[in-house]
Amino acid sequence: MTNYILKRLGQGLLTVFLTVSTVFILIRMAPGDPAVSYAGPLATNEQLAAVREQFGLDRPVLEQYWIFLQQLFTGNLGTSYSFQAPAMQVVAERMPYTLTLATAAILLTAVVAIPLGVWMSRRPDTGKELGVNVLTIAGQSMPDFWTGIMLLTGFAVLIPIFPASGFATWGGLVLPTITIAILQIALISRMVRREMTANFAAPYLTVARSRGVRNSVLTWRYAMGNSAIPVFTALGTRFAAMLNGVVVVEVVFAWPGVGSLIVRALETRDYPLIQATVLLTALLAVGVQLLIDLAYPLLDPRVRLGKAATA
Amino acid sequence: MSLSDTATPTRQPSPSAVTKADIATAGATRRRKAAKWKLIVGTVCTLLVIIPIILAQVLPLPDANFQDLAARRLPPFTDGHLFGTDQLGRDLLSRVLHGGQVSLTIGVLAVLVSGAIGIILGAAAGYFGGWVDTIISRLLEAQMSLPLLMMLLLVVALFGPSIPVITFVIAIAQWPEVARLTRSMVLVEREKPYVSAARILGLHRIQILIQHIIPNVIKQATLVVLLLLAQAVLLESALSFLGAGPQRPFATWGRIISDGQDYITTSWWMVTLPGLVIVLMVVGVNLLGDGLRDRPRRKKKDA
Repeated sequence: MTNYILKRLGQGLLTVFLTVSTVFILIRMAPGDPAVSYAGPLATNEQLAAVREQFGLDRPVLEQYWIFLQQLFTGNLGTSYSFQAPAMQVVAERMPYTLTLATAAILLTAVVAIPLGVWMSRRPDTGKELGVNVLTIAGQSMPDFWTGIMLLTGFAVLIPIFPASGFATWGGLVLPTITIAILQIALISRMVRREMTANFAAPYLTVARSRGVRNSVLTWRYAMGNSAIPVFTALGTRFAAMLNGVVVVEVVFAWPGVGSLIVRALETRDYPLIQATVLLTALLAVGVQLLIDLAYPLLDPRVRLGKAATA
Repeated sequence: MSLSDTATPTRQPSPSAVTKADIATAGATRRRKAAKWKLIVGTVCTLLVIIPIILAQVLPLPDANFQDLAARRLPPFTDGHLFGTDQLGRDLLSRVLHGGQVSLTIGVLAVLVSGAIGIILGAAAGYFGGWVDTIISRLLEAQMSLPLLMMLLLVVALFGPSIPVITFVIAIAQWPEVARLTRSMVLVEREKPYVSAARILGLHRIQILIQHIIPNVIKQATLVVLLLLAQAVLLESALSFLGAGPQRPFATWGRIISDGQDYITTSWWMVTLPGLVIVLMVVGVNLLGDGLRDRPRRKKKDA
């Protein structure tokens, strides 16, 4: 068990390290000069050189990488060019907003998608099921920025029930959450349906039914019990992905989270800020993935961590 | 297969308790009807969008970049502007169709590239196993834990929003799905007797893989391609909404919507209509993919 956790932690940290290194290389490979966007278009060559020296951009790339590695281990990724504050601190201040939004969205998704998927799997090939099926297809076909703008116009402008942007009151959470959840509900409910249908067709369920087990027990205890792991994994993976910033939705609703931060950091070529964002979000995502794996034995007593080589 | 036998009870002299009415309402029949319905509706929706896009140059439309400041923000159906005009007096329908050409080209190219990478790497991982599999599977896992949209934005922001860069970026985002599917199918396929037979006959491993295994899995692998195309179109529109889409020769769908965003309260059509076009097309492609997957496969028996 401990060995397993240590091994997974090692792998996770390696992934994070490779990610931030890739980003470091990509940024340096790309055309464009952060000094120009920092000093403005009217800056003289001397001013540009001064800015580059201040940020350490005049040194050889390998030396920059070495400095970056040292910073990585001290957890201080330098000062954000545009915020003039420690980059890690800027990202850390934004993180709770993204966390709140992601948590709300994943909760709403789970609460709606699981019963919906079960409902669909229990009446396969009926007209009602086909209707809901088509609705889920529509749900996964709508671009989230468009859904967001539509909801915003409908429920914040035309019928002003909710605030249009930002996170001043809890009401501000409603529209972004729904926007994210529409897509996620469509995806997850289809997956629940697929898993449940497979379990309903399995021989063990026929045996249980012939023994006279009640339908509700068959559905929730037997079939759901065996669908729990893939469904939980899907929810967890989606959640981890949202921690990387629900970029589009955050931009539409001017949500003060990590997603809108990265868009701004990219526009201004704020190297330390880009790197800090990638580092923090990758760490969180890897952490969540690890937690999901650790929860498997709780969901299925047959699972022994570190021993399941099949799959 | 046995289901399709019961569905066509011709030349069956033995009396059966199953009447035609039973068959017509049986689950399998309904499933087939639903699949057929999805195929038809999916095709109609897709063609409804794709045909005008392909014909955009031929149709009698104003130039997509022609500005007429006297005809700013006209509502739909005025002065021959079916979708109305935007804030610079450009014909919205024309913009949507020309932008659609760019979006679709990117989508199709991205799917072709990601499909090729995915099938080759997935097949190699499944067939050769060992260190090849280890490297490819690790790569798949690593990419899954990466912040996807953030990385795409990063690459596009840094290397410029040109069509090749965006195509490449979407292809990179999508190959894992194809690779994982192909790998799992090849794992099953390589244990079959015909593979051992080919090996005993002395065929080279690569020849077995290319000539014998891949043709057996490619059909199923290409079924996901339609779903990937739908995703690619959505991904491209999200990128261009965030300002990381191609600007030349025409602004793509996401960009048109983000342009219209500021005028949503006064000119609803500038956001709503382009969005509906995306939805119509992506729903169509998704329905088509779904219908093709659900369709009962009868061909095998005939062959």
